[in-house]
Amino acid sequence: MQKAIACFENVTRRFGDLIAVNDANLEIFPGEVTAILGENGAGKSTLMKLLYGVHLPSSGRILINGEPSAITGPADAMINGVGMVFQNFSLLSALTVRDNLLLAWPKTPYWVSENNKGTKEVLANLTRLAPHINPHSKVSNLSVGEQQLVELCKVLNISARIVILDEPTSVLTPAESRRLHGFIRQLADEGVSVVLITHKLADVEACADRIAVMRKGQIVDVSPRGQKSMSEIVTLMMGSDVKREISPPALPKKRVEKLFLNKICATAPGMSLKDISLSIAAGEVVGLAGVAGNGQALLAEVLAGIHPATSGDVALDGISLIRRNQMETLATPLGYIPELPRKNAVVENMTLAKNLNLRALASGKADVNNEVQDLLTRFHVNPPEIDRYASTLSGGNLQKLVSARELGRPRAAILACYPTMGLDISAIQMIYREIFAQAEAGAAVLWISEDLDDLIAGSHRIAIIRDGQLVAVKDNDGKLNRDTLGAMMTGLKPERKVA
Amino acid sequence: MLVNRDTFLVVSATILAFFLLIIGFFILLGKPPFEMIGMLLTYALGDAYSISQTLAKTTPILLCALAAAVPGRLGLISVGAEGQLYAGAITGTAIVLAAPDLPAALMLPMMLVCAALGGAFYGYIPGILRARLQINETITTLVLNYVTVLWVNALVFGPWKDPASQGWPATITFPSAAILPALPASRIHLGLLIAVAFAIALHFFFTRGASSQKIQILAGNRKVGEMFGLNFGTWVIALMAMGGAIAGIAGIAEVSAIQGRLQPTISIGYGLTGFLVSWLSRHQPLIILPVAFLVGGLVAASDALQLFAKVPAASAIILQGMLFAVALAVPGIIKSMRPGYER
Repeated sequence: MQKAIACFENVTRRFGDLIAVNDANLEIFPGEVTAILGENGAGKSTLMKLLYGVHLPSSGRILINGEPSAITGPADAMINGVGMVFQNFSLLSALTVRDNLLLAWPKTPYWVSENNKGTKEVLANLTRLAPHINPHSKVSNLSVGEQQLVELCKVLNISARIVILDEPTSVLTPAESRRLHGFIRQLADEGVSVVLITHKLADVEACADRIAVMRKGQIVDVSPRGQKSMSEIVTLMMGSDVKREISPPALPKKRVEKLFLNKICATAPGMSLKDISLSIAAGEVVGLAGVAGNGQALLAEVLAGIHPATSGDVALDGISLIRRNQMETLATPLGYIPELPRKNAVVENMTLAKNLNLRALASGKADVNNEVQDLLTRFHVNPPEIDRYASTLSGGNLQKLVSARELGRPRAAILACYPTMGLDISAIQMIYREIFAQAEAGAAVLWISEDLDDLIAGSHRIAIIRDGQLVAVKDNDGKLNRDTLGAMMTGLKPERKVA
Repeated sequence: MLVNRDTFLVVSATILAFFLLIIGFFILLGKPPFEMIGMLLTYALGDAYSISQTLAKTTPILLCALAAAVPGRLGLISVGAEGQLYAGAITGTAIVLAAPDLPAALMLPMMLVCAALGGAFYGYIPGILRARLQINETITTLVLNYVTVLWVNALVFGPWKDPASQGWPATITFPSAAILPALPASRIHLGLLIAVAFAIALHFFFTRGASSQKIQILAGNRKVGEMFGLNFGTWVIALMAMGGAIAGIAGIAEVSAIQGRLQPTISIGYGLTGFLVSWLSRHQPLIILPVAFLVGGLVAASDALQLFAKVPAASAIILQGMLFAVALAVPGIIKSMRPGYER
């Protein structure tokens, strides 16, 4: 039996109430590729950030070469031969590739000339990994895929014994991914331990030796490659045995169109919406599925009258809801739960009471009504103290606070973006109950989520957004499943199952 | 409680650090430090004349601080008070030159209103650039400062030059109807009253009533404000123009009450001093009031010190700079020494 280079022993990491990593046990062996597989938010990145020293374990310990890890930060980690490539890079875009590599290289001399020994040494890995990248071009001119490779070179240059890659293929083209897979294998053959954080089965299939599956902060399974079928692994990842008890209210007999999106176009940096049309009836729940970053956030802001639309219209009961330009003023009649409540939905330096009454305050009414205490209790906001500042609440409680404001009173339409993000089971049930109660009372509901199981269980229809366009709107007639939706979300064929 | 223990600690540590620095400064200059500090205090507050000088300096600093505080409440960083002050001076002077024979009852209000409009226009330009085109207001206000200073030069060297001044670049002396009333034998003029009134009015504007909540929402989270029908752009323009108007009044007050005519140097950096006062006071008008008085005293006293104690002319600026540096650094240093502090 080979000796593990790194070993997690009962490691737990909490952030406030949230348990990001729960009692994890994992061994990482030299010369092996360990894939850590799991859905978004399963705790994969957090687990590896514990090894890299970004976070420290709340309890349990990490051994490196059999010794308790002394790593307390990324700088320590690098000295100890642990390197990590993050999802968002840390390259300086105004500098050249060579200069970026030199900056991160501990042996860089103070004086760097064109032809010194150091330059050749830092570029050696680049030539090996990505011969097509010109070391003298500026990082800002590289594609994201190329930047990823440069980032990886930085890690290789510190001669890391453990290389952690966080979702490396999410930004790569298929050809680049294949080259990366080959390179990962090569690294492993040279004796380096590679940890591959991913939610793509293709990555696992291509190069993993051992597969650790995480779900909701726990490592639910570790097995060598080939021991379990891919469908078993998928089941472990999704936890499909746990069914949530949600079902939307019955559709009203007579269909009355309520919220009407007509050929919306809008642009924001890096994203544009093209001709989005959709009609939602009173009492109907339409789910919007899509891989994050395909225009959901922009669509939500256009519908809520925050971001101006370049053309098209949105009407609620025939009244337009959108802004044409920044100078127009519009208070949205929607019950709108944005994603990332701390950033998008609350005023942190105001009290909970004021945050619940923002509609009234913004329209010039200074008085704060007394329902707020009831709302806080009804939506499980903890602690339910009306004079507390919103900045002191945890993310999950802010999410509940925003839900209380938006769902606490009857609305003509609801726009909910990831409304259950970061909530525990009972709170999730409560939020769904409130949303469905609004639908039952006649609201049109547009529900943006990444959780396909919940969408399938809870919507009447499901629309799929990809690249800023609605690629399909399907009746949820019992025939939709994760695979068909997933295929439409990514634009790939459903049968491309890996095994 | 009005002043809590933390505030008391910060303020006293700041004052202590400032005194240590100026003691060092005077030792470097080869002057007896304690005697110099005594003189500073005397020249700031020692007699009626000193107090009058201090209040004369306090007035433009206070107005400029309020001019920075108004957009500051929305989270904007406007450094344009200096330029707006000159703009107000130009437009206020224009009405005096156009109709020099108006009676005071008509002249003074018109002059003040014109100055406010000129300053407001000069705040409106960076305001609309920010609101419509997302152009950074700090850069535009900074750059526009130079433009009005040069406009004043162009006017007093050119079309507005008093022909009787024999080459001295200045307009005609203002008629007595255009001079802001002042306390007899002092430089304490109506501008101070206006400035204090503004400070109190702004305190209520920013803490009570409907607008205060709107501004607080937009400053705290622009997206949330826009979601509920508040328009960030409109408020940017309104508050930038409002700040500009206040600085414009500072400009005409200096011209009318202190200098009696428009000439190239109206302000000795009041705009920037006001900006720092506003940021030190976290844009709170009732805190700006005493801080502006303190800084006004320092400016007046170091002017006097330069005359009577033969310290270099730059001392006034150095003392101010040390005060601001200490006031910005000490709270941060104290905070970082607290247990539980994390970067």
